[in-house]
Amino acid sequence: MTDSADRSLPSWASSAISETNEEALKALQTYKKKDADKVIVRFKAVGNAPIMKQNFFKITSSNRFQAVIQFLRKELGYKGSEPLHTYINLAFSPAPDDTVANLFKSFQTDNHLIVNYSTTAAWG
Amino acid sequence: MSTYGTTRHHHSPAANFSNRDRATDYHTTLFRRLTWDGTVPLEIRVDPKELPANSDRNLECYFVQAPRVSYLPLLMPEIRRFFMDLVFDETAAKDLKDEEWWFETAEGTLVKWHWPIGLIYDNHTISASLKPTSSRSSTNAIPLRLILHLASPPNEKLLLSPSPEACKQAFMGQLKEADFIRWGSTKRMTGLRQQDQDGLWEGIKEHNFDDYWRVASKVTPTTAPTRAQSPVPPSSSASMVNRPPSADPGGPSERDGAYNVRSIPVRLYVPDGPVIQGLVPPMIDDNTPRTLSHYLLDHIPLLFPASPPVPPPSRANPHPRPPPVPRPAYALVQGIVMPLETEMAWLGGCLAGADGWVNVCIGINH
Repeated sequence: MTDSADRSLPSWASSAISETNEEALKALQTYKKKDADKVIVRFKAVGNAPIMKQNFFKITSSNRFQAVIQFLRKELGYKGSEPLHTYINLAFSPAPDDTVANLFKSFQTDNHLIVNYSTTAAWG
Repeated sequence: MSTYGTTRHHHSPAANFSNRDRATDYHTTLFRRLTWDGTVPLEIRVDPKELPANSDRNLECYFVQAPRVSYLPLLMPEIRRFFMDLVFDETAAKDLKDEEWWFETAEGTLVKWHWPIGLIYDNHTISASLKPTSSRSSTNAIPLRLILHLASPPNEKLLLSPSPEACKQAFMGQLKEADFIRWGSTKRMTGLRQQDQDGLWEGIKEHNFDDYWRVASKVTPTTAPTRAQSPVPPSSSASMVNRPPSADPGGPSERDGAYNVRSIPVRLYVPDGPVIQGLVPPMIDDNTPRTLSHYLLDHIPLLFPASPPVPPPSRANPHPRPPPVPRPAYALVQGIVMPLETEMAWLGGCLAGADGWVNVCIGINH
């Protein structure tokens, strides 16, 4: 890996640096803003899991996946202790702090994110 | 440096490329070994308000040089032993349950159980880079100071329990998610025998490079030593490549190689900010690998603006380079500041964590 030419700066660049730093902190604020966009999540029952009347929901994309699990529990009327396993694309369980935005960008099919749910561990 | 595993052979262009027999070249193995051996210093101290009566306050800190690829729940046995055997009074501590123990950073940020220790450390480094007093020029690693709480874990925010089983499930989940990102299915992971899948976690628990990579090499793509030397793969079996091997002899051609994945499993950490994940194809076009520079320009252009153009060559300056510009931010992978020319596919093959993910942490320059 070659050294970047950026490593040694001429002296005239030093005042530019503090401006750059301020801009960087401002830029960070832009990136921290929570996305109010919603994406479509499609729930699909697996095995003996109860089927819901409504399967497509618009969910705010900045939500963590944990919020989706809790939403699903509420829709199914499940108490906290009843087992419920969730998967993306019948393939894997995401970390509960993965955001819906990230999961949608990475795994969406036909513009929706498929979340499978079952009462037993399937693809754990 | 010790020998690189007992089953590695030097890359042989004439070899038959089956997944099982594929040799991992020296270069890839070297970086995987360096990643595996990377450690970070942790300084763990119990919240003084929670110290059981009669604790030995002279020994209140536990120092450990922890592997970047490991997890806090795996360190819990030794942490527990230190505090229970040397610090806490036996009677006062007898009702403590270590499943209720949890960590915060010294700054009060909740520490996530399921993050690899190296990521926890780097994420803390970039958070510290926001504070004006921090200095990145220090070459000595500063210990990450963690506060250990002994009760009332904030379960709503922790999301996962620290049990070894939950930790293993989370780890396997990340490996499968990475597999899906690369190939659009988890066939490679689920195709492993149960014994092999368990072997991955055992390799982490025992911190054994050979045991871990004996299995991981079956599912992790490698980068060929120089792509021009890679032979064209046999076309008889169904190809997983989304695009045909390039007719250009310099192009990547190893069928299951790092440059042929659908997307590299990578996450971007903005200091005190969101985690960003999306599809990251390894090539911009048939001949141009995607670099860190491309990736960062795509996702956080305000922090990694495009370089100004190179001035045309002249008599006085026959080999011009782009003019130096102050860079607002830097990118850390495995604790190392990455040159922006680094290829994303290379990162995926050589500098990913044990869970398959490349974690890019963005720090702010001063």
